[in-house]
Parts: sequence; structure tokens; C-alpha cells
Amino acid sequence: MSEGFAARDEVAIVGYAQSAIQRHADRPLGALAVDTALAAITDAGLTADQIDGFVGSALFPTAGAHAAVDGVSIVTPGWLAEHLGVNPRYASGFQGFGQIPGSVALAVNAVASGAADHVLLHRALHNPAGRYHANPMQEAAGATQWTVPQGFFGPLAMIALPYNEYLQRYGASREAMAAVVVEARKNGARIPWSYWHGRPLATQDYLDEPAIADPIARFDCDIPVDGVGAFVLTSAARAKDLPHRPVHVSGYALGHSTVRRVMTHWPLDDIMTTGAETARRLWAHAGIGRGEVDLPQLYDGFSPLVYFWLEALGYCGPGEAHELVQCGIDSDAADALPILSGGGALGNGRMHGVPQMLECYLQLSGRAGERQRPGTSVGLACHASPHLGGAVVYRAGS
Amino acid sequence: MTPSRRPRPVPDEQSAPYWTAAAEHVLTVARCARCGRYTIPVDIVCASCHSTAPGYRFEPVSGHGTVRSWTVIRQSFVPGFEHDVPFVLVDVELDEQVGLRMIGRLLDGVDAPLHVGDRVTVAFEDVDPEWSVPAFTLDAS
Repeated sequence: MSEGFAARDEVAIVGYAQSAIQRHADRPLGALAVDTALAAITDAGLTADQIDGFVGSALFPTAGAHAAVDGVSIVTPGWLAEHLGVNPRYASGFQGFGQIPGSVALAVNAVASGAADHVLLHRALHNPAGRYHANPMQEAAGATQWTVPQGFFGPLAMIALPYNEYLQRYGASREAMAAVVVEARKNGARIPWSYWHGRPLATQDYLDEPAIADPIARFDCDIPVDGVGAFVLTSAARAKDLPHRPVHVSGYALGHSTVRRVMTHWPLDDIMTTGAETARRLWAHAGIGRGEVDLPQLYDGFSPLVYFWLEALGYCGPGEAHELVQCGIDSDAADALPILSGGGALGNGRMHGVPQMLECYLQLSGRAGERQRPGTSVGLACHASPHLGGAVVYRAGS
Repeated sequence: MTPSRRPRPVPDEQSAPYWTAAAEHVLTVARCARCGRYTIPVDIVCASCHSTAPGYRFEPVSGHGTVRSWTVIRQSFVPGFEHDVPFVLVDVELDEQVGLRMIGRLLDGVDAPLHVGDRVTVAFEDVDPEWSVPAFTLDAS
């Protein structure tokens, strides 16, 4: 069995749109999604009636009691098609953790197989009123009976445990992470649609923030927002006739740990063992090595995920990421790894893997404006964790 | 005793023996009758041998284990822990099987010195007269 991707570089991103990223939008999420989708379709030089495929993920990543209501707090691909007045040949939602790589895989496979000619990929995220993760539950039934009664609840504790495991194992300090968060916010501050536009973070302000679940503090977590990102994908052949330089999908990989755990229990060895396999699959699928990637965009919804991705992808050895980030990730330095040049989730808001995918698209299509990085031809966009998420390799078309 | 506001576990057909044992301060872990491997949490298919009829039984374990990580929870997101924060959660590898890990509160307080590799033993919090929840305490060094 060949692990190389049979449709390598045969499907391309040809247009995009990104809504303003706000704490609370003044319009329903579904309205924002329709507007953003139409803007992406127009950007690609197409009309809605030409879109015959819709993909995305509608996961509402709250541990709270907030209801998932289509068009209000989530937007499914089917809902979006219906409200654009389109009866698509193909509509599918990705069910899993690496929602953006998973959705890209659905889109690419649909185009490559002929299931659809022009696919709209979107991600709509909502910040409900009230505390994002607060849950007034009185009973812990099903899976929650194994966690909540003993005080283990939610994503902060989920990420704090492997992060502290990392700090203890490698003698790293919590202070080292300031380099990651400050870099994300520096770049996010330059992006007009970012929630953090014009608002970089000073190292001291990061360090002064009290922990919520040690060693995790507020700025280690992306801020919940209302926002929508949308992309149009089609075949490389059709892309030649569209207005923008295409960005080809070279390959993708998704991971799924086979170690039985409570869903939010992420031992460091689980993350890194399965993460190494995710990375190996990615290089094989895309047919390239790490050295050819000049724009790696690592996932940072929680800051420690940057360490985990750096090491899983082999940018440094185990336990070395906290040292690498001190002087090796400044996107303004010529010889650094620009892993957060697009601001990531920490620098944009909780848009899941959209900022990573969007930065790859903008830079590789030559559409990054004053942020354009010359000579950028291969990008990599991660999402979620190395053991449950995934990554996509992009290549600039001609 | 004032009834606790902590979310109450809802035993189901599979988990009932676990909570019954916990009420008697006995820690049990689901064990596959086919391959003998433990798993947390219990499953439908054995996570180790993939038997679709694993005949899982909740068997008493020693309650001894080793700290692999911890965090200090400083904000409560569910009811009933408001007066407990800040508290320590420990990620414990149980002695019975390599990689068999369980998360619980450490009852020694947030100021107790803690290191990866520290030894702990299960303890139980009697949340109300009807149910108890497993937690851990540090062994005397």
C-alpha cells in the first residue's frame, strides 16, 4: 500500500473570506456564515450556483451546557447550503478533533473523485453569553461519571496535566512559554480581522497573569469569539481559469490514538507517540520532508500544543521545544521558523485551525499584502493536538 | 451532613459495581475476562484484545500508584467545588499495569510538595451518605 497521496497537488484553494473576529457579533452566526461564504465564492470568481460541494465541521467546543443550534451556535455544511439556496451534489461534515485538516481532506477527496467540482469549506465559531465552559450539571452520567465527581472537568485541566508533565520531565519553566504567546499576539496584532488587532501582549503582562489550572493561565488559551472563515476548493485544472494564484493541497494526515482513555485525559506519552505517527503519515502523504516546508503554521489553541507539534514534527528533539521558542520562532527574523506568522488562535481568537490554513493560503497565493513573505512556496497547517488532530501540506501553484 | 452540590455520579448497568464498591471505600478497575488487562474507563469492546464480549468485571486493586503529573484547579466550572478551590488534581499511574492511569483529587492540600514519581494511595471522599468518590493522598516518605 502506497502512503503517497494519489491526488497530490491536484486540488487547489482558489478563494477565501474571513469575517471580523469579535467577542460577540451583532448578528446571528448563520447570517455571518452566509455572508462570509458568499464573499469567498465571489473572491474565487464564482457564483453560488456553481458550488456543488459543502464541507466543514460543526463541533461546538464548549464543555458548558450551551445548546448546539444550527444557524445560531453552530453552522453545519447542510445548513449553509440550504441558506445559500443551493442543493449540493455533496455535503459532508467532519466528525473528529482535527476539524480543519479533516474538512480539507473531505473537500480534496470530493473534488479529486469528481463528487463535486467546486467545494465550499467553512468553519463558524460562536461565543455564547455567559461563561464558556461553565456547566451547572447536577448529575454526572455516562462518560462524565469517570471525571466530574472527582473534580476533573473541562479542557483547562485536560491540557494542564500534559503541560505540567512536560515541564517536570524536561525541567522547563512556565516563563518559557511567554515567547510563544507574545509571538502569536505580535502577529495577530497586525491582522485587521483579528480580535487582537492592534493589541500585542507584553511579556510581563503574560507573566503577571495568575494561573487558572496550573501552569495554564488565561493567555495560554485562545479567547472564545464569533467568527467565520470560508475557502473555495476546486481542481488544479479549473483553478487555472480563476482569478487568483491557486494553492495546491499536497497531502494531509490525521491522528487517532488507540490508547483507551477518558476523552479529556491526555498523558504526554499518548500525545507524542501517536503524534509521531501523524507526522510520519503527513510526510509520506505529501511526499516531502520537513526541510522543504518554509511556512509551518503550528496549532496554538492552547499554548503547550506548540511545543507538542514542534517535537512531533521533528523541528527539535523531545524536550527541546521550550528552548527552541526562545530565539527560533520570531517571524521577523530571517533565519527563524515562522510558526505563528499568521497569529494562530492565540493571536486571532478561537477560530480553531482557520488562522493556520488562512496564513498558508495568503502567503502561498501571494495575497498577504504588507505581511507577504517573499519566496514562500510550501506551507504546513496544523490543528488540534498531534495525537487527535492533524495537518495539511500546501504548495504554491503557478 | 449538608447534601453536596457536587454532580452526583449516575451509575449505569455497567458501572454500578464500581460505585457500589466506592461507597465501601474499595477502588475497583474494569478488567477484561478474556485477556486480563485493566482499562480506564470501562468500554464495550476490550481496548487491549478487542474482544466484543470482554466480560468486564470491576476488580479491587491495591489503590497504590505513582504521580505522573498534576495541576492546581483554581476556578470551579461545575457546582459543588466552590469551597474546594484551589485543589490539586493528580494523574496517577496505578501499580497494577503499566500505563494504567487515573485522575483524582489529591487531598493533602495545595501546599504539599509534589514531584513526578511520588507515591500515592487511594482515599475516598464521602460526598454524602450514599456515595463516595475516589481521590488520593501522598504516602509518607
